[in-house]
Amino acid sequence: MSLGDSSMNTSIFLIIVLISGALAGLVWGSANLFLVEPYLDEAIGIENQNLFDSGEADDTLEFWIEYEGYRSWQKSGQILAGIILGTSIGSLFGIVFALSRNSLPGNDNIKKALILAGLMWFTIYFIPFLKYPANPPTVGEADTVVLRSILYLSFIAISGFGALIFYKISKRLNGKKKIISLIGYIVFISVLFFGMPENPDFVSAPMDLVNGFRIMSALTVSTYWIALGLILGILWNYFKPNKEVSSFT
Amino acid sequence: MSQSRQINRSKRGVPIIAIVALALIFAGGLFLVAFDQGHIFSIAYGEQAFEDLFIHELTHDMRHAAGFPCH
Repeated sequence: MSLGDSSMNTSIFLIIVLISGALAGLVWGSANLFLVEPYLDEAIGIENQNLFDSGEADDTLEFWIEYEGYRSWQKSGQILAGIILGTSIGSLFGIVFALSRNSLPGNDNIKKALILAGLMWFTIYFIPFLKYPANPPTVGEADTVVLRSILYLSFIAISGFGALIFYKISKRLNGKKKIISLIGYIVFISVLFFGMPENPDFVSAPMDLVNGFRIMSALTVSTYWIALGLILGILWNYFKPNKEVSSFT
Repeated sequence: MSQSRQINRSKRGVPIIAIVALALIFAGGLFLVAFDQGHIFSIAYGEQAFEDLFIHELTHDMRHAAGFPCH
């Protein structure tokens, strides 16, 4: 059973989607190690200093040995988590690409995949990021983590589904009337942006640190989306999971 | 005289099973990296998993870098 008039090669489709997600995730995790980790170390250093100042921990050799082991563990997880999250988001990207490929502009799969990656980056990452930007450790109360997660995920989901609905509307419109759906999405996302509650937590960390972290975070996430579109486009061109079937009569 | 005619047919359909499999991978991976606070390991280790936060600590740095609320 398939969505469409006949089915593509399922195995090849799944394999190239998963490989492209995992490879892009590897790029993402690796970029984070170089670009984001210094900010995380600095932020956690502030947390440690707060622990010493409040008397909750002592500035001893034992503390630092335990800390180094703990941080090594977290840093090693950066690559693994990058591959897992990259594969996860890549799976969503693969579904959307397969379903929308014929509607995407361009006659090359790399171009189509990059355009879709750009659209998804904008709707499910960049707009939510502007509303709820990434924060380093030291920012965020444990009591509000569930609320913040619900707000962030809701914003992503509403923005993504909103884009999908207005895309469907644009397909029903002809010529210049398509602009109506674009204006509709802009109005919709603006209402959502200003209507959704703000992040309830106060940012007490130095703003140089917070802004530097946010810029690097946005840079590596954007790198991931470019890599994802590029790799899936290349693999799709090479393996052609929906390749044309030739028959002779 | 017989004529041979080639027909090219594009296999455009997306298998439902592939969509379901990818949707499950998407949801599972997202929960694992972005939201787990001991829930997955609590299946095997019970309440202790919420204290240890094994997966949370392993994915901690990516969770921050990807913009998800962490703590």
